Amino acid sequence: MRLAAGLAGIATALGSLAIVIGPGRNTTYAGYSALAATLMVGSGVGLILAGLVTSFFGSGGRTGDLAVLAGAVWFAPVWVGWHNGPPLVRSVAMLAALFAFPLFVHLILAAPSGRLRGAAARALVLTVYLEAGLVAVALGLVRDPFFDPNCWANCTDNVFLLRSLPGLARGIESAHLWFTVLAAIALIIMIGWRLLTDSGPARRGLLPFALPAALLAGAVIAHAVVLQRTSLEDPSHPAFQMIFIVECTAVLLLAAGLVWSTVRTRLQRRADRGITANLGQAPPPGSLQAALAQAVDDPELRIAYWLSDSQRYVDAEGRPVAEPAIRPGRTLTTLVREGRKIAVVSHTAAVPDLERAIGAAVRLALENERLQAEMLAHLDQLRASRVRIVETGDAERRQLERDLHDGAQQRLLALSYDLRLARAQTQADDDAPTASLLTEAMGEAQAALSELRVLAHGIYPVILAEAGLAPAVATLAETAALPVEVLDLVEGRYAPAIETAAYLLVADGVDDAAHRDASHVTVDIVQNGEKLMVAVEDDGINRTSELVQLADRVGALDGRLVVEPTRLRAELPCG
Amino acid sequence: MRVVVADDVMLTRAGIVRLLKDAGIEVVAEVEDASALLHQVHLTRPDVALVDIRMPPTHTDEGVVAAEAIRRELPEVGVLVLSEYVEPAYAMRLIQEHPERVGYLLKERVFDIATVVDALRRLTDGETVIDPTIVSRLVGRRRRVNPLANLSDREREVLGLIAEGMSNRAIAARLFVTERTVEAHVTQIFQKLRLAESPDQHRRVLAVLEFLRT
Repeated sequence: MRLAAGLAGIATALGSLAIVIGPGRNTTYAGYSALAATLMVGSGVGLILAGLVTSFFGSGGRTGDLAVLAGAVWFAPVWVGWHNGPPLVRSVAMLAALFAFPLFVHLILAAPSGRLRGAAARALVLTVYLEAGLVAVALGLVRDPFFDPNCWANCTDNVFLLRSLPGLARGIESAHLWFTVLAAIALIIMIGWRLLTDSGPARRGLLPFALPAALLAGAVIAHAVVLQRTSLEDPSHPAFQMIFIVECTAVLLLAAGLVWSTVRTRLQRRADRGITANLGQAPPPGSLQAALAQAVDDPELRIAYWLSDSQRYVDAEGRPVAEPAIRPGRTLTTLVREGRKIAVVSHTAAVPDLERAIGAAVRLALENERLQAEMLAHLDQLRASRVRIVETGDAERRQLERDLHDGAQQRLLALSYDLRLARAQTQADDDAPTASLLTEAMGEAQAALSELRVLAHGIYPVILAEAGLAPAVATLAETAALPVEVLDLVEGRYAPAIETAAYLLVADGVDDAAHRDASHVTVDIVQNGEKLMVAVEDDGINRTSELVQLADRVGALDGRLVVEPTRLRAELPCG
Repeated sequence: MRVVVADDVMLTRAGIVRLLKDAGIEVVAEVEDASALLHQVHLTRPDVALVDIRMPPTHTDEGVVAAEAIRRELPEVGVLVLSEYVEPAYAMRLIQEHPERVGYLLKERVFDIATVVDALRRLTDGETVIDPTIVSRLVGRRRRVNPLANLSDREREVLGLIAEGMSNRAIAARLFVTERTVEAHVTQIFQKLRLAESPDQHRRVLAVLEFLRT
């Protein structure tokens, strides 16, 4: 059926060629020059062929049929100008020619999908068809070419004529002319609006049709304007010739756009099939990017998941990534689900419409992976905040220790010096009672100082920050309330957080052992690869406390703490 | 005796300087950080520099670093490091390289100016001075197997005085015994602890401290 239509169209074209070079030489545009004839036939045949290609290979629905029909109707003016041809043919062609413009408008607005998008487009197409139909009926009934002073292509035949009303016919023709101009303007506005507002893939689908639309509309408008000036349509006039050539070019471009659209859709389908094949089974979370990259053969494909809570992009592992940016040869596809942005995929421009290529299964996998990425990102934030809490606490303790040292301790020292001087004075004055009071006061000051020292050390062991883990643990072992045997003790320096954690592990372990009536504690701190292994073992009764604070601290460092009845073992990352 | 005092806290520095002056010691310079200390020490060549362990900019071990520099550059100048804290690690670090003319005292010793003056004198005599608190802590440390249990009370006392950096003569004077008696004690102690007896006074301090720390 379609093939037959196509063949009929081609036959029409060949017939047109015959007319143009023969009897229609002076009554058609195409008859005036070889170039015009070539363009006319070439563009019409091109459109018919493009329509056939689209019908047979594309997914454009009715687009192909429309194109074949438009291509056939494109030749109608030639048949009108068939000098001495059958009156019926010329009369039918005269009316058919009226439908060329509505068909082009329909084709342009419906391409590439074949469906009209939006009420405005549907209204415009309907209006131009309706108007063409009305004008065709009216002109068929009342236009007598014989009485038309402005006729040029056909001045004799109208088999449908019911009653010759030249005035009305002229009025209808004039009204039709200006209606067509308005419709052409509406078409340009509509295409321009779509170009401005459509999203990436849809806009790219529109591009092959924008230029022909503009040319066609421009030609229609120019035709009306020039006709207004000359009042008589004269195919030999250079302006009309030029307009005709522009029209032919528009039709040629339209044909090319249709073919391009079809080819592109097929390429995309292949990619789509690739994606489906590769993602036949649900990819494990985190591997979607690799799977998609393989499917579209683009190793640089990147998926950036959008976290609306924190307004940032992350990868599948929840790590922050930069906002995807457009680079030459690359395309960004924003994937939306239920109105929410899920992810932005940066991929090769060779797969222009990834959004459509991604099926429901992949979308679901994407959504799942986004959820997982969001969870991981939250986890990272939590971990970071836990580390910050520990670090802030340590910094505050250290500051407190320094404040004690610089403040209370120094004042007590100064007080002690004064007491000492005062006592020397009273001793010189032989004031024994006061001297003895001052001696007592000095003793109190000294006691206060040493208590303060113990307190400050408990708040933050300065030796740890200054000299490191080994001296600090050694001091701890020397001053412990029970024997502490140090089996092995790493000498090197580590990150402050690691040293503090290891130190507190030993300190708390020794303290805990003392409370559980242990007779001695052994401490072992060794480095094993990128891990610092800390073990504190005692011979006390079984512990009941869980040492939550220690576990928190070790956990914040991504370490591991094993609490056993009389043994603590921790692994701290120190790489 | 001429000394330089380095302490970043004005109140403390003034107190130390007053006490030293009262005790008849000449304070040739007061400084508040390590670089000023090194400068003044080079300039005035004091007998001893009294150095606070915590000084700007980091308030950590600037004093120890400065002490090491002084000992390296001017071996005839003694250094007495004052610290708020009882940290054997610092004491060990100080005497590791240049044990002679180096002392480590708790800051509060300054109240007992006689102890400080004694320490200064010992430093100018080329001895080592380790704070008795540190030594008594090391000696009194809880041990699972205590090798010090084999020592008599007097021997433990002598061991402590050795660890404080005292010479045999000083120990004899402190304990009101003859130097020969002290020598006998020392031999006995080193045998019991299986320590190699060193003829070098300073190495002896180091060996004993290291033994006590392990």
